[in-house]
Amino acid sequence: MDSLVVEGLGKCYSLAGESEQTVQRSLWQRLRSPFGGRANVEKGRDFWALRDASFRVEPGTVLGVIGPNGAGKSTLLQILARVITPTTGRVVGQGRVVSLLELGAGFDPDLSARENILMNAAILGVTRSEAQRRIPEILAFAEVEQFEASPLKHYSSGMYLRLAFSVVINMNPRILLADEILAVGDAAFQERCQQKVAELAREGLTVLFVSHDMDAILRICNRVIWLHSGKVRREGDPEEVVDDYQNAIWSQHDIASSERGRRSNRFAEILAVRLVSATGKDLGGAPSSEDVFVKVRIRTTKSKLLLRCAMDLSTKGQLIFRATDEHVRELPEAGDYEALAKIPRNLLAEQPYVVNISCTFRRADETKEYPLVIYNALSFLAYATQAAGAPSSGRLQRLGFIAPQLEWIVQKEAGIGV
Amino acid sequence: MASSGPDGVVSATGARQIRHEKWTIEPVRVGLLARAREFWRYRRILWFFASRRIKERYESTTLGMFWLFARPLLPIVLSSAIFGLMLGIKSDGVPYFLFFLTGSSCWRLFERSVIAATRSLEQSRGLIKKVYFPRLVAPIASVAPSFIEFAIMVGLTLVVGGFYYYRDGDSHLRLGFLVLLAPVAAGLAILLALAVGFWTSVFQVRHRDVQLSLRYVLQFWLYATPVIYAHTAIPERFRFLASLNPMTGVVELYKWSLLGVGDFPGRALVPSIAITLTIFVTGAAFFNRAESAAVDRL
Repeated sequence: MDSLVVEGLGKCYSLAGESEQTVQRSLWQRLRSPFGGRANVEKGRDFWALRDASFRVEPGTVLGVIGPNGAGKSTLLQILARVITPTTGRVVGQGRVVSLLELGAGFDPDLSARENILMNAAILGVTRSEAQRRIPEILAFAEVEQFEASPLKHYSSGMYLRLAFSVVINMNPRILLADEILAVGDAAFQERCQQKVAELAREGLTVLFVSHDMDAILRICNRVIWLHSGKVRREGDPEEVVDDYQNAIWSQHDIASSERGRRSNRFAEILAVRLVSATGKDLGGAPSSEDVFVKVRIRTTKSKLLLRCAMDLSTKGQLIFRATDEHVRELPEAGDYEALAKIPRNLLAEQPYVVNISCTFRRADETKEYPLVIYNALSFLAYATQAAGAPSSGRLQRLGFIAPQLEWIVQKEAGIGV
Repeated sequence: MASSGPDGVVSATGARQIRHEKWTIEPVRVGLLARAREFWRYRRILWFFASRRIKERYESTTLGMFWLFARPLLPIVLSSAIFGLMLGIKSDGVPYFLFFLTGSSCWRLFERSVIAATRSLEQSRGLIKKVYFPRLVAPIASVAPSFIEFAIMVGLTLVVGGFYYYRDGDSHLRLGFLVLLAPVAAGLAILLALAVGFWTSVFQVRHRDVQLSLRYVLQFWLYATPVIYAHTAIPERFRFLASLNPMTGVVELYKWSLLGVGDFPGRALVPSIAITLTIFVTGAAFFNRAESAAVDRL
């Protein structure tokens, strides 16, 4: 008996710009098909985030879901979490579905841990008495017993994460949906999470784990599906699928059509943008204590090109900085190039970041510039690797957009001044 | 873990007892009745949502309690001074201030609820995009703050009644079991507000114009409802027309049950209830069908 059966699942978004969609027009559409979907209107502008995905999962499987940005991974999880409704296909499952998709989703920062547990229990359909009974267990696993009465806004992001995990895992779930979050946090807690997941999987818990972090996928999954452009491209043994996937990433264009911007012109093309570690491994999140690199893969078809790269780093819609290569680089012959921008350790805060990439080309004998720009080329979460301590004094939201480690000098005044 | 022993036993036996419910996710929309049953299962989260809405309204205001009273009271004092004292509008023999206070408490309950329900999907955006719950919860929970305000107005009404009793020896308030019809009227006002809100909240997601125009519409709607003036001031030949406004019957019922002047407003109430129920049911059906497309755009 499968715990989850996905058949021909698809999700279609209409890409009609909000601005073009005037009241008149949409009223007219409504009159023509008062309750009908939008799929039948404006056919040419539809975008399938997920298309015809089918797979089955047996109880006890920890299924890794991998694929480039825009492949439909989050769409799949959102459908399974019932946050969005599919356009086609269906999912049949059994038992309670819980999700761990964003730090503190479903948490009210003004309520205490105890109240938040009760609220989440209500959302998950757990009876009040059962939830009451589980509270000590949940607090203990999250190691926040001393802070059970303080509002969550005083929690550190590590505590938030531990509580979130502890809540969903203790609600007797049959299916757990998780993304990168399962692989962030301090090492000790990660270890315990993964143990707990493995333990529950033996009792029949099914886990869908979406990640860009191939190490984490290999460590905890016993099956993997690879999504590409909204379709299941391969599924099977983790090692084989991950191997194939990693080989494929660098040899083809994987920047999904959903991303805005200009990806190619007459003589150059941006093939891929990735977050990699110092050893060149793909990363899903950025550990703040290590250097990470934004790697851009470029293919050129003409010789004698000049290139200048730049990246924008933003979080929560705020541009944090634009970093432009100080040099104009010469690309003497046609071929594949890679550009790496190092984000030094101890710079990023525990925030979700978004990277825009721009590569401006110029032919050696022309003055006209040809920029290629990819918006949202990369999105990742930065996380602290050391154990989180006592509650921070401010709101989680006030942690700041970056958290650089500055050099402090504290010394006794010499009397003369510095 | 230290607690793994007893813990393990509980979950092992628990797992055997719990039947894992089978579920299906399909593009097919859930029928209204099935949705209502689902809503009932999720009813507990209504309280969390409602209290959240109430907190949002008054937290980080230094004068929280003051606003609670001032917000509804000041406009009423001002309006009744203009309409009652300066314009001398007739109020069925009841002091104008009391007359206007009762009428507008019922009206404000409706008005605030419509506005809150209209913004509800937008306002719960963060949660709606992340966790699942029947979306009907959002508009329904959003009317909670207006309920608090209404309770305060009821308290004020009693105080004002007490004042008139002290001054004139007549509180002008009805004492008797027919007062129990006032909560019925309040219930109808909420029902109508939700009925309208089911439509407007969905449209609001696509067209921000809804919220802007709503304020105008409500303004006109107020003038079409016997709040400032008495129902008896409407010429006989327009009475039927006035009763097509569902709020007419509701406000009349509320005033009649509290003030006890005039006749039972049966003629206005019948169309009012019929229209309210019609909009409510069709609105809920519309919300149920259009909500998922709206959430995609949220």
